[in-house]
Amino acid sequence: MTKNVLIVDDDQEMLLSLKEGLEKYDGTFSVLMAADGLIAIDKLRKHDISLVVTDLRMPRMDGFGLLAQIIEHYPDIPVIIITGYSTPEMECLAQDGGAVEYLEKPFMIDNLAQKIVATLRKESEGGTLQSVSSGMFLQLIEMEQKTCTIRLADKSSGKQGVLFFHEGEMLDARIDGRRGEEAAYEIFSWDEVNLSIQNECRQEEKKINRDLNAILLEAMRLKDEAEEPSILIEELGDTKELQLKGKTKAANVTDHIKKKLQKAIGERSGLEDIYQDSEWDGLIAQIMRLGAFFDSGKLRLIYLDKGESNDVILLPGKETYVLLVNPKCQRDRIIALLSE
Amino acid sequence: MKKLFKDILSLEDVKGVMLFSFNGELLFKEFSSPLSEEPEARDWWPLLMHSLDGVSEADLVFEKAKFYVRKTDLGYLIVMTGSFVPSAMMRLNCDMVLPALNESSVSKGRKGLFKKRS
Repeated sequence: MTKNVLIVDDDQEMLLSLKEGLEKYDGTFSVLMAADGLIAIDKLRKHDISLVVTDLRMPRMDGFGLLAQIIEHYPDIPVIIITGYSTPEMECLAQDGGAVEYLEKPFMIDNLAQKIVATLRKESEGGTLQSVSSGMFLQLIEMEQKTCTIRLADKSSGKQGVLFFHEGEMLDARIDGRRGEEAAYEIFSWDEVNLSIQNECRQEEKKINRDLNAILLEAMRLKDEAEEPSILIEELGDTKELQLKGKTKAANVTDHIKKKLQKAIGERSGLEDIYQDSEWDGLIAQIMRLGAFFDSGKLRLIYLDKGESNDVILLPGKETYVLLVNPKCQRDRIIALLSE
Repeated sequence: MKKLFKDILSLEDVKGVMLFSFNGELLFKEFSSPLSEEPEARDWWPLLMHSLDGVSEADLVFEKAKFYVRKTDLGYLIVMTGSFVPSAMMRLNCDMVLPALNESSVSKGRKGLFKKRS
């Protein structure tokens, strides 16, 4: 799978010349671009990024701010610093802050590319495995007392996650911006994964306090529970029994939502489209944090007005269902109906 | 600011109000009962605010609570409620508060322009 490298610089010309210069490495990695640290954070939420190359001096959020955010929230993602205002102190600060490489501008693009390739290669220095069961493999890691970072990709959904082990003990897990047990449950619910092992673990803080077996069992239980959006589980009892998979299941859920709205509200439901989309998972994860902080229970529905031609309703579950509705729809009635 | 939110806080089933700047700084909070942990103790508010970028209004419905999110000139207003809140009335109250909030952001700007001589 091609890896994504995010390049962050407020100098548009620099960004474009780097993108052009790195195009010949397309088979090894693809380039995404961001003009400052805040945009970079947004891209980190929305894409699976394997490495970040960042300038230091930028408006809104500079390279040091971005480096701190990455170390805090994405400790598995290595950062290469590029700067035109280098001083020995800056270099020290960047390396103390967690940067893996430091390059002074101007530099040869191929030189940067070599550093990117060498850093990415470390991701799989401990080996790669295809089509394995995550649970069984990870119990072996625990038994062998390994210190490593494991990157996993779910074969059915393509989702990616990371696990951090220190001497066989699982410290943390990450999917997108989600961390800790919540992320571990999702990773362990994946039946078949491809994985790569890096023989180091940059994560130091222990964010998971349950042992691996307890996490595996809980993941299985949650998986059974969360096959469909929570509000539809009870209503789709028959469907669940049918063990429908993939597109048939999605079609069944969308059909059910349409019928439910049609029956209760008719044409005035303002429903214009329904589809599955994981693009919203970052926002949903942040909102779930808010709910967890206030002990609000399971997230059932999100209604968003972005001032655009359609409002958006999100029904979170294992797969997120997105409904586009007319802003003049019977909002409260629809919310009540879909979240009851 | 407490005065501004008085009407919202007095609505049935409203549990609290928070106002965050777009950078995630907590500008105001008031809850009907004490929290076990203060919101300031968490560092993910900036990310939440950033995730809401472009959203002018949102309803977040959980099993045991609801949140109504409204964009203002100062940042995002979050009203925490139970499941039986009169939603339309709450939105109306927020509509009424917005001009005063926006005004306070303007006056804050003016204060910045005309600094007192020391």
